[in-house]
Amino acid sequence: MEHDANRSEFKRDILIYVLIILMTGLIVFISHLRLHVLGIFLIVPIACTEAAILAYYFMHLMTKKKTVHLILLLTVIVFINLLFWPAWDIVYSPRTPSEFTAF
Amino acid sequence: MSSHAHETAEEFIPYIVNPREDTGLYNAKFGIWLFLASEVMLFGSLFSAYILLRVGSFSWPVQSEIQNVGIGALNSVVLLSSSIFFIRAWVALKADDVAKYKKFMALVILFAFIFLFFKGVEYYQHFSHHEYPKTSVFLGLYFLMTGLHALHIIGGILVNSFYMGPGMKIRSINKQWFINRVEVAGLYWHFVDLVWIFLFSTLYLL
Repeated sequence: MEHDANRSEFKRDILIYVLIILMTGLIVFISHLRLHVLGIFLIVPIACTEAAILAYYFMHLMTKKKTVHLILLLTVIVFINLLFWPAWDIVYSPRTPSEFTAF
Repeated sequence: MSSHAHETAEEFIPYIVNPREDTGLYNAKFGIWLFLASEVMLFGSLFSAYILLRVGSFSWPVQSEIQNVGIGALNSVVLLSSSIFFIRAWVALKADDVAKYKKFMALVILFAFIFLFFKGVEYYQHFSHHEYPKTSVFLGLYFLMTGLHALHIIGGILVNSFYMGPGMKIRSINKQWFINRVEVAGLYWHFVDLVWIFLFSTLYLL
C-alpha cells in the first residue's frame, strides 16, 4: 500500500520536474524573441509559476500547517514593503539638475 | 523504531520527533521555515535593489547578450535534478533503505558540484572579457546575487555531506529524528533551487 503511494508520488514528482524544465525552456525561448516590456510581462509570471509549483509540491506547501502559511504571509508582506517604499521614494525623487533645483 | 527510543530522544529536547500542539510542527521544521522566511527577506531585498536600480537607471545592458544563457539554463536543469534526487533520498530513508539513500544523496552532492563548476565557467568567461563587479551596476548585482546563491549551495553541500556521513549517527539514536533532520535539509535545498529560478529569469533573460 505504502509502496504504491510512493510510486504514484514519484510519478507526480517526475511530471513536476519535466513541467518545470519545459517552463524554463519556454522562458528562454520568449527571451530570444526580444519582446522587451512584453517579454518581462510574460517571463516574470511564468518564473513565478515555476517557483510556486516547486514550493507547492517539492516543499510540500500543499500539506503544510497554518503556522507555515502564516510565516510565509508575513514574509510576503515585508517583501512587498521592501519593494513599495523605495519605489515610492524613487518616483517622487528629483532626477535631473533642474528638478533638483525645483525640489 | 521502538517507542522507548522515541521517548529517550524526546527526553533530552522536547518536540524533536513529535510535533508541538500549538504550531503542529516539530522544532526543526518550525525553525527552518523561520530561517527560510529570513532568507526570502535577504534575497528579496537584493531583488528589490535590482528592480529599483534598473527602473531608476537611464540605460541598462541587454542582459542576454552579456550572459551565457545556455549555461544558465543548463544549471537550472542541474539544480532541479538535484532536488528530485533529494526527494528520492528522503523517500528511500523513510523506507529504511540506507544504501539507496546514500546513493541519491551522493547524486545530490555531485550535481551541486556540477552547478558550481558551471558557475565557475561563467565567472571565468566574464573575467576573461574584463567584466568585473565594478564594471557596471548590473554586473555588480549579478556577481553579488549569484555569489550569495553559490555560498548557499556550498552550505547545502556541507549539510548534505554531514547527513550522508557523520550525521547518520543520529539515526542510531532515533530513526524518525534523522528522517526529520533530512527533511529539513531538503526544504533548504529546494529553497536554494527556488531562488535560482528567480535569479536565472531575472539576471539572464529580462
